[in-house]
Amino acid sequence: MDQLNERLFIIVPLVSMLCNTFLLLTVCSAKKDRQIHAFMALLLCFTAWCGGSLFMRMMLYPGPEFWYRVSILGIFFTPLFIYNFMHYFTETRGTFVLRLLFVVWIPMALLNLGNVFITAPHMVVQDGVRRFEYGVSPWLVLPVVLAAITLLGAWRLGARSVREDRIPFARFRPLVVGVAVLFAGTVAAALPQMVSLPIDTFVCGVNAICLYYALYTKRLVQLRSFASNAPSYLIAVLFSTLMLVTSYSSFDRFYRSNFSAYLDYEPIATAVAFSLLTMLLYMLVRRLADNLLDKSQRNQEAELRRFSTEVTKTLELEKILALYQDFLQQNLPGKIARVFLLDKNTGEYRVAGCTNASLAWGDSIAADSPLIPWLREKGYGLRYVDFQHTRVYRSMWEKEKQRFAEMKVSFLLPVMEDQELVAITVFSDQESEDRSRPFTAGEIAFLESMAAVLSMALKNASLYTSLENRARRDSMTNLYNRSYFTECVRRDFELCRHSELSLLLISFDDFGLYNELYGIQEGDSILKKFAAQLELLAGSRGMVARYGGKEFALSFPFCPAAVAEECARRARQWLEEETVGAGSKTKRFLTFSAGISAYPLAAANPDQLFSYANMALYSAKSRGKNRIEVYDPAARSKSPEQSGQERRKLADNCAPTIYALTAAVDAKDHYTFSHSNNVAVYASQLAAAVPLDADHVEIVRQAGLLHDIGKIGIPEAILTKSGRLTAEEYDIMKQHVEGAIAMIKYLPSLDYVIPSVIGHHERWDGRGYPRGLAGEQIPVAARCLCIADSFDAMVSRRSYKEAMSVEDALEEIRRNLGTQFDPTLGQLFIRLVEEGTVTLQRPSDPIPTP
Amino acid sequence: MTFEEKLNQSSPAEVWEEYCGFLDLSMAEYMEIQRRLLMEQVELMAACPLGRRFFGDRPPRSVEEFRQRVPLTSFGDYADVLLTKKEDMLPAKPVVWLRTTWEGGDYPSKWAPYTESMLQTYKTNILAAMILSTSTGRGRFRVRPGARVLYSLAPMPYATGLFPELIDSEIRLRFLPPVREARKLSFGQQARKGYKLAAQHGMNLFFGMSSVLYGTTRNLESISGGGSGGLKSLVGMSPRMIWRLLTALYRCKRDGEPLRPRDLFRLDGFVCVGTDTNLYRDELTKAWGLRPLEIAGGTEPSCMGTETWSKNGLVLFPDACFYEFIPEQEMLKNLRDPSYQPRTYLMDQLAAGQKYELVITVLKGGAFLRYRVGDVYRCVRMKNPQDGLDLPQFEYIDRIPTVIDIAGFTRITQREITKVVEMSSLPVSDWFAVKEYDERGHSYLHLYVELQAGSKQSLVLSQKILQEHLAVYFRYYDGDYNDLKRLLDIDPLQVTMLPAGTIADYQASTGSAIPKVGAPLETVLDLLDFMRKQKGE
Repeated sequence: MDQLNERLFIIVPLVSMLCNTFLLLTVCSAKKDRQIHAFMALLLCFTAWCGGSLFMRMMLYPGPEFWYRVSILGIFFTPLFIYNFMHYFTETRGTFVLRLLFVVWIPMALLNLGNVFITAPHMVVQDGVRRFEYGVSPWLVLPVVLAAITLLGAWRLGARSVREDRIPFARFRPLVVGVAVLFAGTVAAALPQMVSLPIDTFVCGVNAICLYYALYTKRLVQLRSFASNAPSYLIAVLFSTLMLVTSYSSFDRFYRSNFSAYLDYEPIATAVAFSLLTMLLYMLVRRLADNLLDKSQRNQEAELRRFSTEVTKTLELEKILALYQDFLQQNLPGKIARVFLLDKNTGEYRVAGCTNASLAWGDSIAADSPLIPWLREKGYGLRYVDFQHTRVYRSMWEKEKQRFAEMKVSFLLPVMEDQELVAITVFSDQESEDRSRPFTAGEIAFLESMAAVLSMALKNASLYTSLENRARRDSMTNLYNRSYFTECVRRDFELCRHSELSLLLISFDDFGLYNELYGIQEGDSILKKFAAQLELLAGSRGMVARYGGKEFALSFPFCPAAVAEECARRARQWLEEETVGAGSKTKRFLTFSAGISAYPLAAANPDQLFSYANMALYSAKSRGKNRIEVYDPAARSKSPEQSGQERRKLADNCAPTIYALTAAVDAKDHYTFSHSNNVAVYASQLAAAVPLDADHVEIVRQAGLLHDIGKIGIPEAILTKSGRLTAEEYDIMKQHVEGAIAMIKYLPSLDYVIPSVIGHHERWDGRGYPRGLAGEQIPVAARCLCIADSFDAMVSRRSYKEAMSVEDALEEIRRNLGTQFDPTLGQLFIRLVEEGTVTLQRPSDPIPTP
Repeated sequence: MTFEEKLNQSSPAEVWEEYCGFLDLSMAEYMEIQRRLLMEQVELMAACPLGRRFFGDRPPRSVEEFRQRVPLTSFGDYADVLLTKKEDMLPAKPVVWLRTTWEGGDYPSKWAPYTESMLQTYKTNILAAMILSTSTGRGRFRVRPGARVLYSLAPMPYATGLFPELIDSEIRLRFLPPVREARKLSFGQQARKGYKLAAQHGMNLFFGMSSVLYGTTRNLESISGGGSGGLKSLVGMSPRMIWRLLTALYRCKRDGEPLRPRDLFRLDGFVCVGTDTNLYRDELTKAWGLRPLEIAGGTEPSCMGTETWSKNGLVLFPDACFYEFIPEQEMLKNLRDPSYQPRTYLMDQLAAGQKYELVITVLKGGAFLRYRVGDVYRCVRMKNPQDGLDLPQFEYIDRIPTVIDIAGFTRITQREITKVVEMSSLPVSDWFAVKEYDERGHSYLHLYVELQAGSKQSLVLSQKILQEHLAVYFRYYDGDYNDLKRLLDIDPLQVTMLPAGTIADYQASTGSAIPKVGAPLETVLDLLDFMRKQKGE
């Protein structure tokens, strides 16, 4: 029995001391703050208490008296450091009392070292049993009273923080239990019945564990710290030491009976066996700790890493949200999560994704909802019920409350970017769940880490989007720019394949003059206002872009030309009011012309859409400006007089200029003059048969007349050369196209023929010049010109060749269909000539006919 | 979660924050709640025929627009909808209709609809008032499930009758008498029964009309003065109450002091409602040992304000109504010239010390927009640094001058008195009525009447006829008129006959007309002085 006691007095303090040391090592890995430091100081006290007691029993060097002093110092400082711990644990302000206690306790402990209160123990051996006897002075009452005051003070700190609701009582429970056990144990140790038991050192270990648990619930230390190297090694040492202590005699007997020949090596064998045992235990403990405590944490970390890696790979918001949803689905399978994203224009938070795709689309949180500032202020995940208890909850609308109740919202996770709340993840319980399962502290920490990752990803995405947006917009009007608009129209065109799409081009008339009259600033101002008005008019139906300096473009997917026309009309009305009406201070005159084309009525592809809208715009300009024209191929069916009148009017307007230009060509090269006339006839007849609208046909005719006027700038020697042209001469000859453009562009009233003229040497296969366009990229008028030009050149006699027969020329065209010529138009031309619909002209002659 | 569950499961600070946290609002936060909830009400109103009557097809989009476009209203603007209870005309479905007297109206009563959401707010606010009535400082309160509550406020269908019905589902309180039993009793019976039960078993909370509280207090004090019920009064009393009564009687006898309610009851909370609260307050505090907490409200606005732990000024709940205030001068100008549209001010635009007539828009689907309740409040202070309040505090003054309110029971206007005078068939040439107070502090209606010159009617008889007619008329219109007499032991009507021509002569001499109802007391005293001088001559 006595031996057992003797052993208990070694084992219990040993276990307690190791336990304290173990906790000390685990908190070493935690992030240090004042609370952790206070806890470490307390653990040191306990360690000194238990360790001193243990080593005193074992009479280790330098002697029992030294270890007694270590132990008694630990005991004396325990109340002080309990107070110290409580002070920081409750985050109490002001340190006066704490400092005062230090000032009192330190001399008290020093006095005791001088044996004032308890004298150093002396060992008594009675009936073969060792025990230590202490002398107690009446002054002992002083430190006892002081300890009681200190502990009461600590209790008061706790009670006050509970009363003031700084810390919930639940967090104090482990502390209360720990201190109560410590107190009871210390008192019990003084009872005669308990003298034979090392109860004080035992409760010292229990208390340390309780305190550790209190810190864990406050999320200041993590259980995973147990799985780090130092604690694992300590546990291994603890167990192997215990095994050595308890089984040494058996081992000794075993060794002596079986290895009697190697008795000299027994210490070495024991040491090796002990080391091996420790190593084995260490590995075992590490594995166990890893599996028990660290595995789920590591899994979470791995998931987080995976999520982090994946979201940082993309800058697209949709993809980030999809990844986030997947992540939530996998890691929180029992919860429904809705992600509400900030709409920076309205300030609302709109649902952008949900882990259950069938739920809650269309939900939003109002910009002025009291939830927003509350979450922004808190900045971390919170229970919805906490929000319900706030004073600002009173301003929630009834329907908002009902919606949250229907969604069964239980937890809200804000995603902050700097100080801005960019997203809110709203967690709900599954419909089938009757009772809400609250998130554990670990899950909340996990979610907050995830929110931090998401915040970074959203920040990058938003940065990217804003840059992308900037690149897509015109800096002055903030409308989309031409390139992005073209891209969008092409994309919309694909969407509208089976529906409609209309395009509206608007160009201010004489805007240069307006700028000169009223100043560039005023010009810029009207551009900005007009842009804003167009956005209003288009609304959600269409898209607006600044297409050029004074040009705007609007596309209306799934809308007929009438919608674009109505929009143009309203825009014109606004402009009138703004410049000459009540809206303006002084009367200013500014108008615009507009061209509209629509799919599928007129255009067959996006290029045609743009081209025809341009055509309609040019038509509006040429007809006196301030007009809205819709490109209409069916205009052919208009009454012949009306159609003829318009054509004549168009021709009449341009005739003098065209005549002057063609006369200049004639003077220099008669062949070119008659060739141009023939081409104009052939091309316009082909265009009419396509069918293109009457205006377009007239444009083709004029383009035919002007397509070679660039030849004025080609040396006569090359123009009239009888032999084949050299490569160099051919290059010079090719410049006539640019030459023609250079001349026409100075004639604003004729600039609409430029697209046709510039493209008449383009080939269907893209090997033509000057731009190398291919297929339908080449304007249809240019394709008509190309066929007519080639045909007339073939059937004409030139100084270097004889005239081809019409049949041969048509055969040549047929051979080059799909390479040089548009196969459809080429076939049509051949058919028209063969049917006699195209009136054959007198072949162009290089020599002027007298 | 019910209030009782919250008390058990949450910390006191959490309960306080949820119910009384509005006291920590800054002025800006308060106004933001007001704005937000008003816009909710506008949205609800815009979707119903009643709302379209005020908004047309274009609902206001801001508070300013709302105040500009919607005129100030009175019950007459809603009478066709509310008196016939046309629910399909309202912004939200009512779950209960409450009634009150329509002073000066075409019908004796007016009705107000309450939606589910309004009741929820009403409940929260009443619980807040209950917490505050037991509080001794910010966050310190004592509300115990199972507490005995003596409840002597008007029963259903009056607004105060909803209190116990609403609280009953939130916390186990022992109402005296129990809620079910009380439903079958008149106000007077309920008060008497409740008081008897309280005397037998004790009570922890007391809700009552200030005037009734005062009357009850005086009755109790008379027990020690005059012959009490002796041993008979001990029958049915719990041992604890017997002990308290006996020790209290002993102490009173020893010290030669009267028995006060404070000697018998240990109240946790003491709530009073109604006009003239300020008159009775100090005496009630002395008698009960606890300063009563005043709450403000009414049938149309529900429970809209409460005092704090300091019990020195009302704070209006931010979510019951949207409040606007007409300054006293503007109100008087409007009374003189009904075509004049008085200006209103918002809570953050008031001035301390000024009197204001209250204008409310009931939130949460209520039916009233910019409604003139007819109550006058004084803004006591704009903030209270001592209590850490950033909100204005008010004091209930009285009804508007054209209404005479007697102890919170009966409201009388010119219209009612004219009718009574006509019904009496007396040759009355002129009259005016004012509210006066007797030596015990009770208010009463004082009617000054003048018969036609040369009338042969006996003045004493005429006085009796008028008094009788008034009493009959009020009994007919207000069932609680009897209770008023019985509970308070007062005669709320007094008639003084003036010599013929006195009023006209006085008006001619001063050049100013005496209003029919609510003339200033100085004017009355002046007139009486004038009359005496005339007699003397």
